[in-house]
Amino acid sequence: MKGQGLIKGLGITLKHFFQKEITEQYPDVMPELAPRFRGCLRFQFEKCIACGICVNNCPNDVLSFETEKSDKSKKKKLLSYSIDFQYCMFCNLCVEGCPTNCLYFDHDFELSSFEREDIKMIYLRPEGLDEAEDSQAEPEEQEDKEQKQIEAMLKALQKNPQKVLSRLLEGEEDINILSELIQSDQKTAGKIAELMIKDKEKALKVARGFINKEKKNRAQQEMDGGKGGDNDV
Amino acid sequence: MEALFINLAEAFTGWMIRLGLNPAWAESILLLVKWIIVITIITVNIIILIWLERKISAFFQERLGPNRLGPFGIFQTVADAIKLLTKEDIVPSAADKLIFKTAPMFFIVVAVMLYTVIPMGKDMEVINLNIGLLFFISVGSLSTIALLMAGWGSNNKWSLMGAVRSVAQMVSYEIPLAFSLLGVVMITGSLNLQDIVAAQDKWWFIVLQPIAFITYFIAATAELNRGPFDMPEAEQELTGGAYTEYTGMRWALFFLAEYTNLVAVSALMATVFLGGWQGPWLPSWLWIIIKTYAVILVFFWVKWTFPRIRMDHLMSFSWKVLVPVSLGNILLTGAGIYFCRWMGWC
Ligand code: SF4
Ligand code: SF4
Repeated sequence: MKGQGLIKGLGITLKHFFQKEITEQYPDVMPELAPRFRGCLRFQFEKCIACGICVNNCPNDVLSFETEKSDKSKKKKLLSYSIDFQYCMFCNLCVEGCPTNCLYFDHDFELSSFEREDIKMIYLRPEGLDEAEDSQAEPEEQEDKEQKQIEAMLKALQKNPQKVLSRLLEGEEDINILSELIQSDQKTAGKIAELMIKDKEKALKVARGFINKEKKNRAQQEMDGGKGGDNDV
Repeated sequence: MEALFINLAEAFTGWMIRLGLNPAWAESILLLVKWIIVITIITVNIIILIWLERKISAFFQERLGPNRLGPFGIFQTVADAIKLLTKEDIVPSAADKLIFKTAPMFFIVVAVMLYTVIPMGKDMEVINLNIGLLFFISVGSLSTIALLMAGWGSNNKWSLMGAVRSVAQMVSYEIPLAFSLLGVVMITGSLNLQDIVAAQDKWWFIVLQPIAFITYFIAATAELNRGPFDMPEAEQELTGGAYTEYTGMRWALFFLAEYTNLVAVSALMATVFLGGWQGPWLPSWLWIIIKTYAVILVFFWVKWTFPRIRMDHLMSFSWKVLVPVSLGNILLTGAGIYFCRWMGWC
């Protein structure tokens, strides 16, 4: 029948009349933001390695930074980092690109300011960062180096144990036993490799320990079974 | 309680006569006081109504509406009124100044005149006219002229367009409006609104004349320029129609007059179809207020539900549907009355 729609429409508005209002009372009540809401772009100076990926990623030329050649190491020294936020379109490309996760969006969305210049955020190099970095850099670098060496050693050990072990041990039998052990057990290999880089004397002792233990084991097996043991050797 | 206001009025005249005024003078001063009271009530009422409409429209749209100024935002309209009062009054240089300036005054005066005949309770009205209904209809249609004046005087295409629309619309809807009331007049045999109210002591006329009620409601919506028939204003197409060039208090007068009209028409609807001031327990003047507000709420409901219809649809609806239906209703009523007499029921 004609006019039914009118009644229906009245019914719909009446239903909405009694439903809960969805207005957000914003300044009094803060809106609930989604966890990945993009508010204000923030920067953590300490983490930045001045790689420039963010600057390359940004389509709007929002980001820029200044660096200085450090006299102590090859690393670039970050002097200041600026975010000219008025041009940002919140695309998140800078955040995604950053290898050290030092850029992130927080939930602060009240970004208006009286002057255009106030929107720009400039992060200057915090005082005391130099010393902190210097004292940290040395041992860290060494550790890095050592770690690499250990890894190389481990590879060599697994590939060609006899040759490597001949630098540590004497006596063909011992070398054979240990190399078999290394090939069958990752843990032993790792331990030996680490000790060989760090402390050769200790490595020798540990290696002897392993060998003796293995020898005893074998002797035991020979006493017990006989046949299987022969095949093994 | 029932005769509260009547007693007040009598006490007032008695007091003036005792002061040494002759009775004729006392009567006219009383009339003046009545008028002032009516105007005050209208103005205060409009402030409440505007707030109410904003709140209700907000609720229909799941918003909160004004809620900052005062409890529930009740003072928002007061603030708006102050703002409008202090705004610059701009008269376009090319406007027809006299017509431009008199239009809003004319509009509000016409709107206020409607209240003279509405019975606000038992024996409570400004003037008890025996042609009250006719007076109401004829004065109500005068507001067309005010809109035409505004549109013409503004010397602006939007205004003129709005004025032309409003004239076309009002003239067309005047006819079903009057025809739908005619059924009631035929039953009561009187144009006096108090008589019409008195005739509804058993049955409200909404029961006896449902078709007339619906046609009257539709035609009244169009007469009031309210949505969905607000073509003369039509902000989206005409930037405000006849009111386009008006600023500040002149514009506010139009606004005021529209709401005044709304209350008047709702009160008439309550009087003619909903039993007027008749009702149990409560005093009569409270009943008419309650009924009027109920009708106003329905007007709000309709306005905030339906979209504005097209001008040609509006006209064809009036001439092709409403006029025949209301004429048919008159025929039906006449036949019903005859049948009734023939059977000896009345
Ligand atoms: S979010 Fe996009 S536009 Fe904003 S700073 Fe990052 S890369 Fe540039
Ligand atoms: S991508 Fe990250 S680490 Fe690289 S310069 Fe930008 S903020 Fe610094």
